[in-house]
Amino acid sequence: MKKIEAIIKPFKLDDVKEALNEIGIQGMTISEVKGYGRQKGHKEIYRGAEYVVDFIPKIKLEIIVESKRVEQVMETILKAAYTGKIGDGKIFVLPIEGVIRVRTGEKGEDAI
Amino acid sequence: MISNIVEMESLNSEIIDKNVVASERLREKTEQLISGSFKKKSPDFIRKHARILDDYFRESFESSMVGPKMGMEKNPYAIIALGGYGRSEQHIHSDVDLLFLFEKFIPDEAEDLIREVVYPLWDMGIEVGHATRTLKECVKLARQDIEVLTSILDARFICGMSLLYSALMEQLRKRITLKRSNKIIKKLVENSRLRHEYFGDSSYLLEPHLKEGRGGLRDYHTMIWIARLKSNLKQFRDLEYYGFLSHDEFQSLKKALNFISNVRNCLHYLSGRKCDQLYFEYQEKMAASLNFEKENGQQPVERFLSKLHGQMEFLKQQHLMFLYELGLEKNLKYIRKTQKSPRVKELEITQNGMLNFESSENILADPDLLIKIFEESAVLNIPLSIEAKRLVREFAYLVDETFSCSASNIESFEKILAAPASAFNVLNEMLNTDFLVRFIPEFKAIVNRIQYDEYHLYPVDRHLLRTVENIKKFGASERISKYRLCGDIYKGLKKRKLLLWAALLHDIGKGKIGGRHSTSGAVIARSILVQKGFKAEDVDTVSFLIQEHLLLIKTATRRDLNDEETAISCASKIKDVNLLKMLYLLTVADSMATGPKAWSDWTATLLRDLFFKVLSILEKGELASREAVEAVENKKAEVLRSAPKVNAGDDMETLFNFMSPRYLLYMPANCIMEHIELYNNIETGDFVWNVSRTPNSNTRTVTICAKDRPGLFSKIAGIFTLNSLDILDAQIFTWRNNIALDIFEVNPPLDQIFEQERWDRAETHLKAALSGDLDLSGALNQKISAHYPTKNHIKGKPHQIVVDNESSSFFTIVEVFTYDFPGLLYSITDALFRCRLDIWVAKIATKVDQVVDVFYVRDFDGQKVDLPDQVATIKTTIEEILPGFKPVDPGK
Repeated sequence: MKKIEAIIKPFKLDDVKEALNEIGIQGMTISEVKGYGRQKGHKEIYRGAEYVVDFIPKIKLEIIVESKRVEQVMETILKAAYTGKIGDGKIFVLPIEGVIRVRTGEKGEDAI
Repeated sequence: MISNIVEMESLNSEIIDKNVVASERLREKTEQLISGSFKKKSPDFIRKHARILDDYFRESFESSMVGPKMGMEKNPYAIIALGGYGRSEQHIHSDVDLLFLFEKFIPDEAEDLIREVVYPLWDMGIEVGHATRTLKECVKLARQDIEVLTSILDARFICGMSLLYSALMEQLRKRITLKRSNKIIKKLVENSRLRHEYFGDSSYLLEPHLKEGRGGLRDYHTMIWIARLKSNLKQFRDLEYYGFLSHDEFQSLKKALNFISNVRNCLHYLSGRKCDQLYFEYQEKMAASLNFEKENGQQPVERFLSKLHGQMEFLKQQHLMFLYELGLEKNLKYIRKTQKSPRVKELEITQNGMLNFESSENILADPDLLIKIFEESAVLNIPLSIEAKRLVREFAYLVDETFSCSASNIESFEKILAAPASAFNVLNEMLNTDFLVRFIPEFKAIVNRIQYDEYHLYPVDRHLLRTVENIKKFGASERISKYRLCGDIYKGLKKRKLLLWAALLHDIGKGKIGGRHSTSGAVIARSILVQKGFKAEDVDTVSFLIQEHLLLIKTATRRDLNDEETAISCASKIKDVNLLKMLYLLTVADSMATGPKAWSDWTATLLRDLFFKVLSILEKGELASREAVEAVENKKAEVLRSAPKVNAGDDMETLFNFMSPRYLLYMPANCIMEHIELYNNIETGDFVWNVSRTPNSNTRTVTICAKDRPGLFSKIAGIFTLNSLDILDAQIFTWRNNIALDIFEVNPPLDQIFEQERWDRAETHLKAALSGDLDLSGALNQKISAHYPTKNHIKGKPHQIVVDNESSSFFTIVEVFTYDFPGLLYSITDALFRCRLDIWVAKIATKVDQVVDVFYVRDFDGQKVDLPDQVATIKTTIEEILPGFKPVDPGK
């Protein structure tokens, strides 16, 4: 099992979610996050006051999948989140040691 | 001896049997009551339930073996109901609070008595909280612990020696309540405040706590306790008889309490336990089991919650009014000092510093007093007295159409609307007293209207008032840096009142079924304001704000903010800077008033970003003015009329979407059609071009449609120079499907007989340059040094290079002022290319030999270049290629 963590542009969330639904991904966790990488922040000035955006709003998606599905899920996110411009985000893949479903106590892949 | 024991045991088992019978009967009766009352709503459930329990205790007491042995004569005792059970308000799974009271001492047998009476209940799963105390202990504990005191305030005799119960109440009164009632009340008020504060948290709005929450039953308990302490009130209905409440208020309060209590009971039943918080999982089931039905497009659960909120709000208001009268006593000194007096002579300030009518008869003679009192309240910052609120509610029927359309009343209303935010909210009072619904009848449809999700915390009417309040707070937010921008905008705003009207009415469309609430709301608001005699342009403003009140937040969260198109399309809709500012403030205030899930720092950043971008476009006025929008629309229509043929797969609408607003604005329709034709021909090649004679001039227009790539522009410019084609003017446009349209105005070749051959050669050169087969810069150097001797420019003005990062949110603008020289455009654009910049827009202007070249550039990642060292690099890289450049000696 792997965890796929993707940072994407906020307005791409619906597209990505839909694309993942289409390939049968049933669940995911999303959070509103802020950060920066190669895409820099910027500042605006209004009436002498500076308004700086140093951390740019992004969406973080977390999905746990069976190892054999990792490629497919990554491809799907890649395609759906792509704009070709800076700030499109990144995808990380992490190993998962175990999963347990709280309600039933099912473990491993059954619990995904 | 042995036989004795046997006898005892058989007796014991007999008692147990009897109590089992009693508890069995209790079980049966309870089940009957529950099944009966849920089939046909029994308003008296809680009282009946208490009575069934009473029966059980009496029966079990009568059959008790231990009881008679305890010497009732020497040491009288009684079983007394406390708390909710004491008030005869027993919900299904509420605790049964009991007091085993002994006059002098607690005998050893007491434990056996409890075993007999209480244990069977435990076996049934009923939670019994029991205390065994002497009279003395009771009074002592009640003095120390306010919870014990309040539970005894509700005490009710069940069985045993009734005189003992009377003695307890008498002692409590003599020793505690008479002596210290003020102190106790203060403590109760304080507890109430803390409780409201704690349960004021947003989560309790979505999942109300029926007992402890704001407007929960505890509010009513507190009122009862205080009334008992103040006037030894016995029955609930005494609240009216003792003058704490008017008849109507009492009736409404009774209704509210019945409803909330019924809900609580139903929740106990459905959850199967003592659950007093209305969690999401139960809400829909509750609505069904309380027989709410779908109506007016509202789900049963929405109607249920709406009613519940309404009743709880009412209870809360009654509770607060009740406390207000008590709580103000201590502030008397302060209020007297302020010496405010109303400017309207029919109004007065009461002893405890609140606004009231001098006499109710004046209201009949002059109904306008009904709004005057609110106006005074807002201006003087003094709340209405309870009596005044009562009168407003009772005379609200006088507020008719003539009243609400009178110019002076509207003026009063606007004063209230615009009054600075204060601790008590005048608009809220207007809503609570039904005045607002009379004044703006369209409000009726949204009062207590619930939207069932985890997103909207407040019923629509409260949400609207909160939105107004938020906007007013911006005006006072100087020191709160978080809202500094909003404060700055608010202060500079024209026609603030219109924004407040829009805030007050923005969700008015939610009372209508079907369609978008923003659209129907705009229509409703329009009719309200027209009726109230507003100027047409002001009506348009408010109606527009309501129509578009979701535009910014939706765009900010669902569109690519780094795409200039996004900002331009918003700007084209809004068209006006002041309107944008209003819309931004409305959006922020609206989101904040919705709930924490709708408004976070994250959303705020996105929204602010969009605001600045749209603002910058509107302030420049170039791309999104009314005229610009109209011009683009006309042009599109013209192009469509001539119905150019397009490639399969591309319809005209798609093509229009590829074209940037800038392109659509500046390109004449016939040129757009030409470009579409060129685009149709590009197919697999890198570019196609078209050379034509410019009408009325001996120059040529070269239109190049090419697949965009960094450095394209400089290569084309270079090729022209290489072929001795003087560039007079150049424009660059980029379509969003990565197609570049570069349009050059050039002098024709000197040798015009073989012009076509010259063009063909240039085309071959460009192909070679793009494929990398031609060393353009080498070829150019050769050509320039061979054909053009260096001119002397000393007399001219110095060069100037300006890198401007402020005019546009999307591009860095590079302006170069210099003299014309061969290959200039190539050199500059090539320099930009070497700085790893993409040219998005170019404007070239040559006057005699003075040149002003303007380039809109971004780096290859599509970002502006605004770091100081980047700016410096751009400047030096361009300077180096300008004539007369002398490298600066780094040593100096």
